[in-house]
Amino acid sequence: MVFPTIQFAIFFPIVLALSWALMRRQAVWKPFILAASYVFYSAANPLFCLMLAGLTLANQAAAQLIHRTEDEPRRRQIVAAAIAIDLGTLGVFKYYGFFAEEVNAVLDTFGLGLPLPLAAIALPIGISFIVFQAISYTVDVHRRLIEPASTIDFALYLSFFPHLVAGPIVRAREFIPQLAKPRDPTKVAVGAGVFLIVVGLVKKVAVADFLAREIVDPVFGVPQAYSAPDVALASYAYAVQIFCDFSGYTDIAIGLALLMGFVFPQNFDRPYRAQTFREFWRRWHMTLSRFLRDFLYIPLGGNRGGKLKTARNLMITMVLGGLWHGAAWGFVLWGTIHGLALVVEQLLRERVRVSLPAWLKWALVFHVVVLAWIPFRAPDIGLAATFASRLADWGPATLWTLPVVGIVVIVIALQLVADKPLDILRVRFESLHPAALGASMATVIVLVTATVSSQGVPPFIYFQF
Amino acid sequence: MPRKDPFILQRPTGRPLRARDALLCVLVTVVALLVVKGQAIRGSGERMDAGIERTVVLAVGQPAGWIADRIGIGDDVERLTARLSPDDALGGEGGFNETVPTTDSPAGGARAGAVVPVTPDAFDPAALGGKPDRLAELGTLLVAGDSLAQPLDVEMARRLAADGVRTVRDAHLGTGISKSDLLDWGSQALSEVRGNEPDAVVFFLGANEGFPFDAAGGESVDCCGPEWAAQYATRARQMMRTYRQDGAARVYWLTLPLPRDPARQEIARSVNAAILTAAAPYRAQVRVLDMTAVFTPDGRYRAAMDVKGRSTIVRRPDGIHLNDAGAALAAEIIVDRLKADFTKLGSG
Repeated sequence: MVFPTIQFAIFFPIVLALSWALMRRQAVWKPFILAASYVFYSAANPLFCLMLAGLTLANQAAAQLIHRTEDEPRRRQIVAAAIAIDLGTLGVFKYYGFFAEEVNAVLDTFGLGLPLPLAAIALPIGISFIVFQAISYTVDVHRRLIEPASTIDFALYLSFFPHLVAGPIVRAREFIPQLAKPRDPTKVAVGAGVFLIVVGLVKKVAVADFLAREIVDPVFGVPQAYSAPDVALASYAYAVQIFCDFSGYTDIAIGLALLMGFVFPQNFDRPYRAQTFREFWRRWHMTLSRFLRDFLYIPLGGNRGGKLKTARNLMITMVLGGLWHGAAWGFVLWGTIHGLALVVEQLLRERVRVSLPAWLKWALVFHVVVLAWIPFRAPDIGLAATFASRLADWGPATLWTLPVVGIVVIVIALQLVADKPLDILRVRFESLHPAALGASMATVIVLVTATVSSQGVPPFIYFQF
Repeated sequence: MPRKDPFILQRPTGRPLRARDALLCVLVTVVALLVVKGQAIRGSGERMDAGIERTVVLAVGQPAGWIADRIGIGDDVERLTARLSPDDALGGEGGFNETVPTTDSPAGGARAGAVVPVTPDAFDPAALGGKPDRLAELGTLLVAGDSLAQPLDVEMARRLAADGVRTVRDAHLGTGISKSDLLDWGSQALSEVRGNEPDAVVFFLGANEGFPFDAAGGESVDCCGPEWAAQYATRARQMMRTYRQDGAARVYWLTLPLPRDPARQEIARSVNAAILTAAAPYRAQVRVLDMTAVFTPDGRYRAAMDVKGRSTIVRRPDGIHLNDAGAALAAEIIVDRLKADFTKLGSG
């Protein structure tokens, strides 16, 4: 089920009302929300619920075993087994096709003719987010950062529908304590929740989908047909599209959770205002950044062990972070570019004392980020190269329209302005009467749905990850 | 550097309200939307495939639509927001309802002794012993259809870009010839031909077929018998006639590779039979490209097949659509056929 759909608009008010009605009776509330979350997930494919339930039971069993075992080598074996199940599930669904085709290609080169069985496997929506949360729970129990939750609490943590399919990646120690007692019905952040939902809808439907339709999809689809001005604008437009699409989704997710009395971590903090790559990664998909930091970069050794090992760890983390997005060389290249940028930045920070003007640092980081999006978005590496080569081919600007250019400029500019004016706007909105908030939300929904084509709202980009 | 530590849950901003305020807020939104968008909700439900989701949406949409019909605000809002819509207004001209006979009664069907005259452009000169009727230049190619036309449209555009061909992509997801309430392909075909004057049209549609046709007297013709296929063929023929532009353009209509689901296979077989029948009078300009034989020979579904000596997955996991490799194979077949029909084509 996708948030901006009629199905969800019917589903959510019913679930919200029943959730608050049942909140005080936790023994009823928890199974109800669990069932609602599975209904939400089953809309894509009921069979995917089996995978979700299987991962839940496997990780919960592992967590309980780890907790009961004192012997450290044994604890390590159990956590390794749980991670193997999680990553194995991810591997089968997400990477098997890519792996089998690449192996077949290599074998074919040597004339070995031993093709692996090929199968078109449906990718369960949000599988990466589910697997990452499952891993974080089991590892945190192993690290004794948390105690195992009850099975229903853990099942709820993995399946809670606002964050189920595209994050944010909520850590068990952030979410499970919120299940310890009923949410306080006198302290609900209604204004903040509605504000986020409204902003998220505008970002997704009015901005991201508009840019995709008007410039990004045509130019990335057939870059050969366009020259430098269109290709350059499409690059900036994609940077804006993916930000608005993904942050729009998480804004809605966080807003829905707030209406239900739950708090999720922030996932974006105006990433395109970053003046260093390190800062970019502290502003972009923040919950993935901290997952990669805590469960990959630091276990690899982090910045301990000298410059060379730090550089190696950064590269491994970023390349695997790229591969996490999907089985394609474009994602690997995207991760490699960011890894190299972080490594170079770290070396320069230590060796070069010259300080560049802030605007120049921003421009440098922003344009490398925009360029790195090209292999990320292009259907394959060959087309990414074609796309990049078209940047040097001057010609007419056929897709430069006022709405497209205006939206790209406004979204980037909004990331650069000071917090205060935007905060004032937000505070004013949040302080509206609940009925006025509802009317505002309805007005925005009517306006943004008017911009939707007859084909409906395209899926969120991060659903495929 | 960010001012806040992103790794700690932040207290939500704004003054805390009560849960019933949250419910009031959502209730106001829901009521406003039911009043304003009731007809749209009902329409969406009616267009959905049968199933629990359709039942639920209609359970809300029908009463909401009834209320919205009586209040009438929805129409005013539609008018006010129409400028925001990215869809072209088709105006209904050339639509299926204008020309399609809905019954085989004497009024709507053929009478004894009355036949539609055959025109000279129905003949390919090659069939009469002359030179093949090749067109000089492929300037504009229209690739149209439903979700099946993606990513075929992009694949075609890429392959023909080097030849200077302008490819117009006109895929409308969720549409069908038997599902004309979302998009009337009769009108759409006319609109595209008038707007782009394509030299060739590639048409690939059929992922959403199987809906009943309206017949005279409020009856409906259900899929997938001869009556349904006849209705489908009539509509398809109307589109073919539009696309061929009195013989000035070539049409490449792809049949459906069989889907994995047996129920959908039944629909696909009926659609494919209708396409062949529809194209019969226009064989000189309308090429029916048999995707069934390519992707599902002997009527058996397969996800992977041998492409250039290597086993390759050609279908998407849904068992309906072609994936990138499948679309590339289909595009190769179409481009070969285009090269036979257009003289200045070949560098792509």
